[in-house]
Amino acid sequence: MNYIKKLILIVPTLLIVSCTDDLDQTPIDPDSFTETNVFATAEEAKGALAKLYASLALTGQQGPAGQADITGIDEGTSQYSRLLFSLNELTTDNAVVGWGDPGLPNLHAMNWGAGNDFTTGMYYRLAQEVSFANSFIENAAALNDNAEVEAFIAEARFLRAFAYFNLLDLYGNVPLVTVISTELPEQSSRADIFNFVESELLEISDVLKESGANEYGRVDRVAAWALLSKLYLNAEVWAGEDHYTDAITYAKLAINSSYSINTNDTNGNGSAYDELFLADNNSNGAQNEFIFALNFDGNNSRTYGGTTFLVHAAIGGSMDAFNFGVNGGWSGLRTTKALVNKFDYSVTNTDADGNPTEWADARAMFYTDEQNLEINTISNTFTDGYAITKFKNIDSQGAAGSDAGGDFVDTDLPLIRVAEIYLTYAEAVLRGGSGGDLSTATGYVNELRARAFGSTAGNIASGDLSLDFILDERARELYWEGQRRTDLVRYNDFTTGNYLWPFKGGSKSGTAVDDFRKLFPLPSNIILINPNLTQNTGY
Amino acid sequence: MNEKFMRELFKSLRLLFFILPMSFFAQNAVTGVVTEAATGMPIPGANIIVKGTSNGSTTDFDGNYTINNVKEGDVLLFSFLGFQEQQIAFTGQNQINVALEESQTSLDAVVVIGYGTVTKKDATGAVNQVSTEDFNKGQVNTAGQLITGKIAGVTVTSGGGAPGEGQNINIRGIGSISLNSSPLYVVDGIPLDNSNVGGSRNPLDFINPADIETMTVLKDASSTAIYGSRAANGVILITTKKGKGNEFKFNYSGSSTVYRPTNYVDVMNGDEFRTLVNNVGNAAAISRLGNASTDWQRLIYNEAMGSEHNISSTGNIGGFMPVRASVGYTDQDGVLRGDNFSRTTGSVSLRPSFMDGHLKMEINGRGMYTENTFANRDAIGASVDYDPTKSVYSADSPFANYNGWYTYNAEADRFIQNSLSPTNPIALINEKDDSAEVRRFIGNAKVDYKLHFFPDLTATVNIGLDKTNSHGRTIISDQMPSSQLDWNGAYSNYINSATNKLFDAYLTYDKDFGKSSINAVAGYSYQSFEYDNYSFDSEAQEEGNDAEFIDKWRSTLLSYFGRANYNYDDRYLLTATMRADASSKLNPDDRWGYFPSFAVAWNINNEDFFNSETINQLKLRVGYGEIANVNGLGDYLFLTKYTGSRSNANYQFGNTYYQTYRPDAYNEDLRWEVGKTLNAGIDYALFNNRVTGSLNAYLKKTEDLISFVTVDPFTNFSNKIDKNIGDMENKGIEFELNVTPVQTENFTWRIGYNIAYNDNEITNLPDQVEQGGISGGTGNTVQLHKEGYSPFSYYVYKQVYDANGRPIEGAFVDRNGDNQINDDDRYLYKDPFADVTMGLNTNLNYKQWDLAIVSRASLGNYVYNNMASSRSYEVRATENSILTNLHRSYYDTGFQSITEASLQSDYYVQDASFFKLDNITLGYTFGEIFKDSDLRVYGSAQNVLTITDYDGLDPEISGGIDNNFYPRPRIYTFGVNLNF
Repeated sequence: MNYIKKLILIVPTLLIVSCTDDLDQTPIDPDSFTETNVFATAEEAKGALAKLYASLALTGQQGPAGQADITGIDEGTSQYSRLLFSLNELTTDNAVVGWGDPGLPNLHAMNWGAGNDFTTGMYYRLAQEVSFANSFIENAAALNDNAEVEAFIAEARFLRAFAYFNLLDLYGNVPLVTVISTELPEQSSRADIFNFVESELLEISDVLKESGANEYGRVDRVAAWALLSKLYLNAEVWAGEDHYTDAITYAKLAINSSYSINTNDTNGNGSAYDELFLADNNSNGAQNEFIFALNFDGNNSRTYGGTTFLVHAAIGGSMDAFNFGVNGGWSGLRTTKALVNKFDYSVTNTDADGNPTEWADARAMFYTDEQNLEINTISNTFTDGYAITKFKNIDSQGAAGSDAGGDFVDTDLPLIRVAEIYLTYAEAVLRGGSGGDLSTATGYVNELRARAFGSTAGNIASGDLSLDFILDERARELYWEGQRRTDLVRYNDFTTGNYLWPFKGGSKSGTAVDDFRKLFPLPSNIILINPNLTQNTGY
Repeated sequence: MNEKFMRELFKSLRLLFFILPMSFFAQNAVTGVVTEAATGMPIPGANIIVKGTSNGSTTDFDGNYTINNVKEGDVLLFSFLGFQEQQIAFTGQNQINVALEESQTSLDAVVVIGYGTVTKKDATGAVNQVSTEDFNKGQVNTAGQLITGKIAGVTVTSGGGAPGEGQNINIRGIGSISLNSSPLYVVDGIPLDNSNVGGSRNPLDFINPADIETMTVLKDASSTAIYGSRAANGVILITTKKGKGNEFKFNYSGSSTVYRPTNYVDVMNGDEFRTLVNNVGNAAAISRLGNASTDWQRLIYNEAMGSEHNISSTGNIGGFMPVRASVGYTDQDGVLRGDNFSRTTGSVSLRPSFMDGHLKMEINGRGMYTENTFANRDAIGASVDYDPTKSVYSADSPFANYNGWYTYNAEADRFIQNSLSPTNPIALINEKDDSAEVRRFIGNAKVDYKLHFFPDLTATVNIGLDKTNSHGRTIISDQMPSSQLDWNGAYSNYINSATNKLFDAYLTYDKDFGKSSINAVAGYSYQSFEYDNYSFDSEAQEEGNDAEFIDKWRSTLLSYFGRANYNYDDRYLLTATMRADASSKLNPDDRWGYFPSFAVAWNINNEDFFNSETINQLKLRVGYGEIANVNGLGDYLFLTKYTGSRSNANYQFGNTYYQTYRPDAYNEDLRWEVGKTLNAGIDYALFNNRVTGSLNAYLKKTEDLISFVTVDPFTNFSNKIDKNIGDMENKGIEFELNVTPVQTENFTWRIGYNIAYNDNEITNLPDQVEQGGISGGTGNTVQLHKEGYSPFSYYVYKQVYDANGRPIEGAFVDRNGDNQINDDDRYLYKDPFADVTMGLNTNLNYKQWDLAIVSRASLGNYVYNNMASSRSYEVRATENSILTNLHRSYYDTGFQSITEASLQSDYYVQDASFFKLDNITLGYTFGEIFKDSDLRVYGSAQNVLTITDYDGLDPEISGGIDNNFYPRPRIYTFGVNLNF
């Protein structure tokens, strides 16, 4: 009995002592890793590098949604290129959308506020990419110094510069953060951000792999050159400096690299343009044009953003989803007649009302059956405005993409491709940069035209080349690829009355809006928590 | 067995001999037996004390006692919790046998508090106890329903009308905006984890309400403080029935129940919809109209049946081990077709006692086996949306004759469903099987050892285990209409397991010094929580993706606690508590929190100057306490960790898809959220205890509020983290009144009334946090946490109305005057929480008849009618090349299309104050139908009547967003209760 009584008192004491250590719990989930696991070897660290790319293409660690990178907004909406489409295309003549998602109708109406979900979501996405990259650069630097790790770090710096390039374009005055710290950052000026992007790209252009020497999906030094040319083209707006000569220099480097425009008309429809936006654009020849692209796959890389969004959201009305390699449409995106009219010079057929239905320029990829060219109602009315058929989940052989269910799309999305750099070159020449010439510029434009027409029928003379022509040609070549707002701002057409399009500023015939809308607001939530930040003017 | 023990006892006694003053030897010893007057059963553990001295003794297991050193003229005081005290003067008797009467007044009732008990009159905190006789009657299958409407400041809201549905219980409003704001449930000393495992409908399902003896609600911090963290939102102590009596007795209770749907969402009927489409649709839309008039809602809901059987037995094995065992079975269908909840419970409780009552054990084991068949709730929304002009079946349908919106896809050479169309509601019901079995065991073994050499001190060890395992699966047949090109049905399953281990050790010191007494507890508690979830998905497998997933996490909680109750002459009562808690969820530097509480009470009625026949009790109480909370916070949030991508979110380099590693958001600075509560109250009893009740006022300030708030993603790895960021305040007043207007031999009438006012306000929050996702559009929300407002306030546009009071489409007040309507024009308008809640109950007993009525009212709670807001615009009827039914709210608004602003219009935020007649039960007791038996039969009606101005289905919507709500049926029950 003594024994029992002792036990009653001693056992608890032992348990009390032994349990204290149990407070130190570490993750036991098989999908959870520590920093030591992830940066154990260069091979493992490649998974962390892949995240830097994936955070632009996907939305979280589970496809198509789940374990989201960004919370508080719809996960599919939070994907980078979908946000880019929302901010740079939906705000322009290129696109309207019929959905009532929070903040979405405000984009085309150009009356977004500082709490807008899309302006906020993009800021979060880009700032997060900067943090991911900062963390990667710091941790990878501790790995054994070999060529592979060096390339990893240079790519991470490229992606960080790319994020800042976007921040510079969209928001202007953002904090410049290059190390991981929980300290609230100070605001930097737009010019500081410009200088940072420039110096980073210049530095890493020697460290990134040689042109064409990297795996598909990873960038090489051509991406740095191409991004520099884009940066310099916009320097006057972004930094108040004339860098057109630099734009030409780096456009030339990119153009003369191992990348070239796609001229393989793999599906034999008469133009090699549509191949750029097909399900097999990673292998049908288009990949040679892609200096930097986001990779999607119907089974392995799933998202409700990216090309899955561009394909599904553009299908509605009487369109047959079968022709796009998917199982249905989301009845959302259409375009305004302002874009359609830019192809008027090549109209080959019209309907009873005289509205165009066929064009010789193969870039005019419009669906017109039962669609009204004129928009009367944007919301919930898919049939107002021509639909766009540019992106498809069909390969060059006409077969649908790899997701047998027809939900998720294989098509990769080019963020920088050679055709754009052609037009950058031409514009920089016209804007007075030296090192290039008008006849080369005309030649580049005619290469694009010849591809679009499948013949020289659409070619222009060098005398036709003007800045306004370039702006329109960029619309024709690059619409829905996330460039339009930036272009309109560069031409001072975005907010002003110089150029109006249907429902610009919320008015059916279009109206000018305040100049401050050339920049998006910093998120009101971020302004609330960081007193170091000053909101962009007007918001 | 007892040689060793006797030697030990002798040693202990020898020690006592040395300690006790020699003079005592000259005096007398008294022996005797203390018994229960009603049953003649001995009372173990009763206290015998010589009045005015510290000389006392307790009875052993057989009720025997010996008390020494009694002098002539001394008065012996016999007492035991729950019984009336008796005083007997010592006049030289050798033996004094006493039969104690069970206490009739509620004041002597024993109230369970953490790690101990106290009489109602000695309680210093805001504590309510409801016991069997006051429980709600009728069809009750989960604990929360027993006390609905019974206690001021405690709101019990079911999630909906499904069988076994979870109850959302809030005590004194919501105390946290991000963490769990449910109270802590403690069953027989085991604090439960509030999380629900997959496959289970309700974390409290495991306990058969028929096994519950009392439910005690600890409302203020001074009474909950002993439970420390996790008790920040109050504590509900559930005490189960235990064995008693000497002979075996049995009880059978059974009931049969009918559930009847009463109310449907107000949508257009076939003819109305045909008229609308003919008026507004184009030729293509009109051609899509059918000729039927199908009321889809009436097809998916039906009258449901249920039954319940419970058998229990109590008795005593071998004269030293009271025992109770019970078996219960409940089988209940839901009004949504295909819903079923069936539960088998078993429980055993043993309370052996050894060493003359010095060593007491309590062993409780409780097992539950539940089979849930979950009806497909997608049918609720689909039945509202689906075109009423279509019949259920169509001969040419590609999917088992279900009518639907199908298109031919040449790629797959098959018909698929239009991806934007609702699915045929009957197909949703018929073609999906979703079922789960849940097994749960909760057991504890508690040992109380009253030290032989120091009987004032009791050492207690309590070891508990709460283990749940669930297996569930979902099978969707290939006949379910689908837009997937490769649709061939789907199968998924899951196995979830949760293990919660408890170890408590504490010492209780109980000493009566004559005029004053002390009860002190000091102890240690350890609890661990471990979860292991597995799931499998056949579609992922077909695509060649990872099909199996494992989720695991674990946390521990460690605490030291102490409490002292001091009672001076039953006039002045003092309680002081200290608790130290450490949670594995917090970083090692901020892990420990120290939380004190104090309370004082003054029983004015026991003062000499207070001499009133009318007032039986008048007690003033004031208490203050601090309690921390991290309940509901995720694990490992202070660590930098990486999440690997699943195989459908990998990224392609070259020809390889790489698993990606994402650094997760972290917060090294997470600390305890601390609630500080001040509570002042009055307990009163008048007119021979015919009128009793209490009045409480409280103010709770929660500091370092943990909220999931914006973090600058430049400084972290996401845009939101859990962070200690704000403060909030709950304040309120509660009043309870229990009256027995009539109490005669044949007729008793009791009335209980309670009213509570509560106000929640966020007093400091440097961020604004959108909440309350709604349907319509993608990602819209209508609620906001903002400083200066109630949490979950509606965040809406101010609708503009025309001269006739009709809302004007797209017209909202430009609140900031910038000539445009955007997010900046939204404002905060009302909130889902009631300002005032009331409960009114009455019980009538006339001869063998008994009647109980329970009603509730809630004032100032608002609901956002999402059913109307997202389903009542004209374009909806014909958009997407299909037809979709409209909510009849369209007739009030005439809205053409939907925008973010019209969804977020304050027009849809409606006053949902209500009065509900919850329960009417009429019973008849036959008395002894055969020897030693007792039979009662009853009939009851529940959810009898609702009076409200709210337009939607039901004004009582937990969370305040009315969308696809599972309607609460009216319930009719007939039952019997037989004791033998």
